[in-house]
Amino acid sequence: MAIKNKGLALEFEYVTRPGEQKHIGEGLDQADECMQEIAYQLIIGAHTEVGRLTKNALDDGYTANHILDNGLLNGMAIVGVKFRDNVIFVPEVLISARAMKAGMAFLEPILSASGIEPLGIVVMGTVKGDLHDIGKNLCIMMLRGAGFVVHDLGVDTSAEEFSDAFEEHSPQVIGMSALLTTTMPNMGRTISSFEDLGIRDEVRLMVGGAPVTQEFADEMGADGYGENAVDCVDVTKNLIKMLEELKAS
Amino acid sequence: MTTNQMNSKTRVLNALNGLPVDRPPACNPTNVASVELMDLVDSHFPEAHRNPELNAKLAATGYTELGFDSIAPYFSIIQESSAIGCEMQWEQKDNWPTVRMTKPIWKSSSDVSIPEDFLTHKDTRAIIDSIKLLKQEFGDEVAIVGKTMGPWTLAYHVFGVEPFLLGTVDDPAEIMKSLRKLMEFTILFGEAQIEAGADVLTVPDHATGDLVSGEYYRRFLLEIHQELEEILPVPLILHICGNTVDRMPYIAQTGMAAFHFDSKNDPQEAMEAVDGGIKLVGNINNPTTLYSRGPAEVRKEVYKALDAGVQLIAPECAIPLKTKLENLLEIPIAIEDWSAERNN
Repeated sequence: MAIKNKGLALEFEYVTRPGEQKHIGEGLDQADECMQEIAYQLIIGAHTEVGRLTKNALDDGYTANHILDNGLLNGMAIVGVKFRDNVIFVPEVLISARAMKAGMAFLEPILSASGIEPLGIVVMGTVKGDLHDIGKNLCIMMLRGAGFVVHDLGVDTSAEEFSDAFEEHSPQVIGMSALLTTTMPNMGRTISSFEDLGIRDEVRLMVGGAPVTQEFADEMGADGYGENAVDCVDVTKNLIKMLEELKAS
Repeated sequence: MTTNQMNSKTRVLNALNGLPVDRPPACNPTNVASVELMDLVDSHFPEAHRNPELNAKLAATGYTELGFDSIAPYFSIIQESSAIGCEMQWEQKDNWPTVRMTKPIWKSSSDVSIPEDFLTHKDTRAIIDSIKLLKQEFGDEVAIVGKTMGPWTLAYHVFGVEPFLLGTVDDPAEIMKSLRKLMEFTILFGEAQIEAGADVLTVPDHATGDLVSGEYYRRFLLEIHQELEEILPVPLILHICGNTVDRMPYIAQTGMAAFHFDSKNDPQEAMEAVDGGIKLVGNINNPTTLYSRGPAEVRKEVYKALDAGVQLIAPECAIPLKTKLENLLEIPIAIEDWSAERNN
């Protein structure tokens, strides 16, 4: 199925990497006109419209999973690409995130009641001394949308709070976020505290945030680094696979 | 052979004003006080933010211990916001104080009002009085760099980052109105610091490329920054973290003396982007180089910035508080060596 929605077709032109063109293009192939319209309205941040279209789609017999995968997540995939490529910035991502929430408000109760096995359990928090949460919240939204159970520790999260959350929720992955160069070292301190507690090998630790780089992540001893919220989903999937292989061996 | 033929204050002011210097200054628009320095002079966070004597004692170490050419007594970015009434988290000696931006105090431009005690509040007073103390002790020999937050950064604090950024899309005219009103805080606190003796002011206004586009900078801030430059009668150093090359051509039009830039921007590329329109201060990497590496790597970055033509050398932003002293000490040493090599 071609992209019939003219607005969405124009948005798809921002997807230029061959692998992504294939992946997102295949997703859009599964989407009929109704789902394409939801995806497009999400990209432009029309939250009221996304809420209305999602409700109508449910009334018309689409399943919650179908709307999530073919409407909302297709739209967010293009938003993620545009954000990574500096076509859009945080304000534009925030309005798309608000639109996603408007749709999810109708879908979440149905998805939660369906009893589908989650892809994994993730704990997320912004590190000690840092009160910025936009990036972390976008990651959480993408992870939940992709099928993970995410426990959000909020901002200003100490190493002890991360390890307590590990004991309480038994996540496969813990994600740490920081926006400030001054608080980034607290990622390393949290990783060290997991080593001190002897639980380092039982969980995979990923880091991200505007000033964080792969180089810094490696130096701190993190298992994974995500450049943006879309990346975060793939990194989480890879880390869970890595943990499973480690445990199996 | 020493390259020091002028005192630190003259060196910084000359560099900012585009006049000849004996060597590029080590000038810190943001904090260089570390935990080691706090222990050395027995003046620790959070008290050093709020007590003028402790503040001055710790700030002076940038000059007396590290050998920088400037003293910057405003360590953080939250003094005005505390005086305005934001909920604060003052933290301990090894962590930065922060504003609880998830609990914003205002919702719209109509809420913005200047508290009567704005300039007499303990946390604005601490900086003003510290500047007076520093001026008395070091006034003729070293540049005192004050700091006054720009309206964009204040907006994050009083409205919350997410509501504010959403507002830029939902109602840009209302956001402009808020920025105009918040700019009054920038002017008031800046003027008070100049009156107390500040030779230079840093104006942090975090419209960073990690959050918003270069076009946003032009649309919402360029004119405001141009006006600040006209109103505040000392050299101004604009500070914005993160990727900023895309907005540097606009920043170069502000008329401000200098732009303090982040290590995410290549110094050569930055010099080309500003094209002589504004001096650059920076951009030694904090989390990797200054915090995790050693003096050799610091030296390499100082040389790279100087080779590119960066006029004043500094860490890219306020340093991580556990930054090693030897790495900070290396900055002025490397500048002197670079200058000596060029003069020979």
